[in-house]
Amino acid sequence: MTFTSPVALLGLLLIPLLVAALWWREKRPRRDVVRFPAASTLQALVASEPRWPRYVPPALLALALLALTLSFAKPERTVTVADRQASVMLVTDASGSMAATDVEPSRLEAVRAAAKDFLDKVPGDLRVGAMSFAQEPLATTRPTTDRDTVRELIDDTIANGGTGTGDALDVAIKAVRPKGEKDKDKPAAIVLLSDGRTTSGRNPAIVAQRAKELRVPVYTVSLGTPEGTVPGNGAPFPVPPDPETMKRVAQVSGGKFYNVTDSSRLSDIYTRLGRQIGSHEEQRDMSVVFAAAGLLALLAALALSSRRAPALP
Amino acid sequence: MTTPGVAPPAGRQGPGPLPRALLQALDLRLARRSASPLPGEHHSPGVGQGTELTQLRPYEVGDDVRQLDAAATARTGEPHVRLHVPERALTTWVVIDVSPSMAFGTVDRLKADVAHGVGLAVAQLAVRRGGRLAMLSFGAENPRLLPPSGGRGAVARVRRALEEGVAVDADEPRAPDRGALGKALSRVGKMAKASGLVVLISDFRDEDEWQRPLRRLSLLHSVVTVEISDPRERELPAVGRLAVVDPETGRVVEVDTNRPKLRWKFAAAEADRRAQLAEDLRRAGVQHIELSTEGEWLRDLGRGLR
Repeated sequence: MTFTSPVALLGLLLIPLLVAALWWREKRPRRDVVRFPAASTLQALVASEPRWPRYVPPALLALALLALTLSFAKPERTVTVADRQASVMLVTDASGSMAATDVEPSRLEAVRAAAKDFLDKVPGDLRVGAMSFAQEPLATTRPTTDRDTVRELIDDTIANGGTGTGDALDVAIKAVRPKGEKDKDKPAAIVLLSDGRTTSGRNPAIVAQRAKELRVPVYTVSLGTPEGTVPGNGAPFPVPPDPETMKRVAQVSGGKFYNVTDSSRLSDIYTRLGRQIGSHEEQRDMSVVFAAAGLLALLAALALSSRRAPALP
Repeated sequence: MTTPGVAPPAGRQGPGPLPRALLQALDLRLARRSASPLPGEHHSPGVGQGTELTQLRPYEVGDDVRQLDAAATARTGEPHVRLHVPERALTTWVVIDVSPSMAFGTVDRLKADVAHGVGLAVAQLAVRRGGRLAMLSFGAENPRLLPPSGGRGAVARVRRALEEGVAVDADEPRAPDRGALGKALSRVGKMAKASGLVVLISDFRDEDEWQRPLRRLSLLHSVVTVEISDPRERELPAVGRLAVVDPETGRVVEVDTNRPKLRWKFAAAEADRRAQLAEDLRRAGVQHIELSTEGEWLRDLGRGLR
C-alpha cells in the first residue's frame, strides 16, 4: 500500500493528543457526581464487573481518527488486473531431443507438467493457445479460453524429428496476430520452449524481429543440460540446448529468457509466467474504504457513548 | 466555639419541632429504660455519698471517721458508721455520628437533621431529675467531647455542639477513616465508670470493628442505638448512568442504574447489610431503633423505645 499524499499522515499525531485529552478528562475532578453514602456497596458490586466496556467508545474514536487520517493520505493498493482480449501461445519443442532424460523424468514430461501449471495460473478469461513443432509446426490450437483443448494438445505431443524453431515462431505469431496488426488493446505473448539448435527452416532471431514489430514479446525457455543425450544408432547422441539463440530471440522481441536445467525450476518459471502474462498491475485508490471504515467507527463510538452518557450533565 | 473540619451541611432542614407532649411521653419511656424503679433490675452503683440511709454498722478500721453516727454510737456504746445510698444521678451519654455520610437525605430532612433531633430530645430529657449529660461526637477529624455536666447549661452546650454540623466531604479520594465508632465507644467506656444511659446515634456505615466495644459498653450501661437511614440508600432509582461519590472516601463509582440487575443486587446487598447490623446489635444486647429521614422521626423514636 502506498500513499499519494503522505503529508496527511501527520494527522496521526492527533491520536496521542486525543488519548491524552481523554486521560486528562478522566483524571479531572468530576462535576456530575452525586454524593451517596452507600457508594461503597455499589463499589463492591461494580468491582466484580469487567472494566473494559468503558474503554470501547474512546478506542472506537481513536480508530475512526486513524482511518479518516489514512483516507486523507489517499492510500493506494496495487492490484493485478487481467487483460481482456489478451492471448498467449505456448510453443513447445517436440523434436526427438525432447526425449532426453537429463531433466527428470524427461524433458517432454517436465514441459507437460509445467504447461499445465501455467494453465492453472493464468486468469480465466485469458485466451491461451498451444502448438508443438519438430522440423515444421505440428498441431496448433488457436488462442482460446477453452483450457481442455490446450491440455489435450499438450498431452498428445510426441518427441520425434528435428527442430524448426523459426518456422514455428512464425506460425505462433500468426496465431496471436491473425491480421498482422499491432493492436495495443489486444496484448499478446508467446512462451517458446526449445531444447536445441535450430536444424531446419528460418533463423528464429530474424522471426523475432517480426514479433517485435507486432509487439509480441517472446518469453523463451532453454531446457536441458549440455550433457543431455538421446539413444542414437549404437552410441548415445548428444543433444545440448542452444541458450544463445533463445536469449537473442527474447532480447529482440522484448521478452525474457530463462535457462532451465531441472523440472522444478521449469515449473516455477511457467507458474511465474502464468501470473505475469495476461495481466498488469494497477494502483487502486482506497480512500473510500478507509473513509467508510472511519465513518462507521465514528458512528459506533457515538452510539455507544450516547448510551453510556451520564444521566446528569 | 467551632470545631475545624465541621460545617453545617448544605440543605439542612433542622430537626423539626419537638412538641412538649411528645417529649414528656418519651421521658417516661427513657426513664423506665435507664433507671427501672424496681431494685435489682440495674447494676448497683454501690454505697457512697448521699442523703438516703442505707445501713448502720460497727466501725471498722479504715472507715471514714466523718461517717461516724453519733446517735447510734451513743445508743449502743460502740462506734457505728452511717452509710448512704449514693446519689442516683443518671448520666446520659449522647454518642453521635458526624461523619460526612450523615449529610444525606432525599425525603424530608437529612440524616444529620434526624440525628440532631434525637440528640436534642435525649439531651432535654437527660437533665431532668438532676441527671447529667455528656456528649461525644465521632466521624469528624476532631471528635468533640462534652464531659458530664448537669442543668440547662449542659443542654445549651450540647445544642450548640449539635448545631455545628457534620464533617465536610473528602476533597480528594483518600483512605477511609474507619474505626471511629469503635474508638468512640471505647472512649465512653473508659470515661463513664458509673452505670448510665448511652444513646448511640449513627448510620452505622463504619465497616470496621465496633461490635466488641459496644458489647463491653452494654455490660455496664443501658445502651440505646438509633440507626438512621434514607430510603435512597436502600434502593436505587432507575435514572440512567450515575457517577456517585462516597462522601467519606471521595471515591467515585460509575454505575448504570437502568440495569434492573444492578438495582436488584444493590437492594439485596443493602438489605443484607442492615440485617447483619440488626443481628450484631441484638447480640450486643442493646436496643435498636431504626429511623428514616422520611416522616415523623420523633414518633418513631417513641415507638422504638416502647
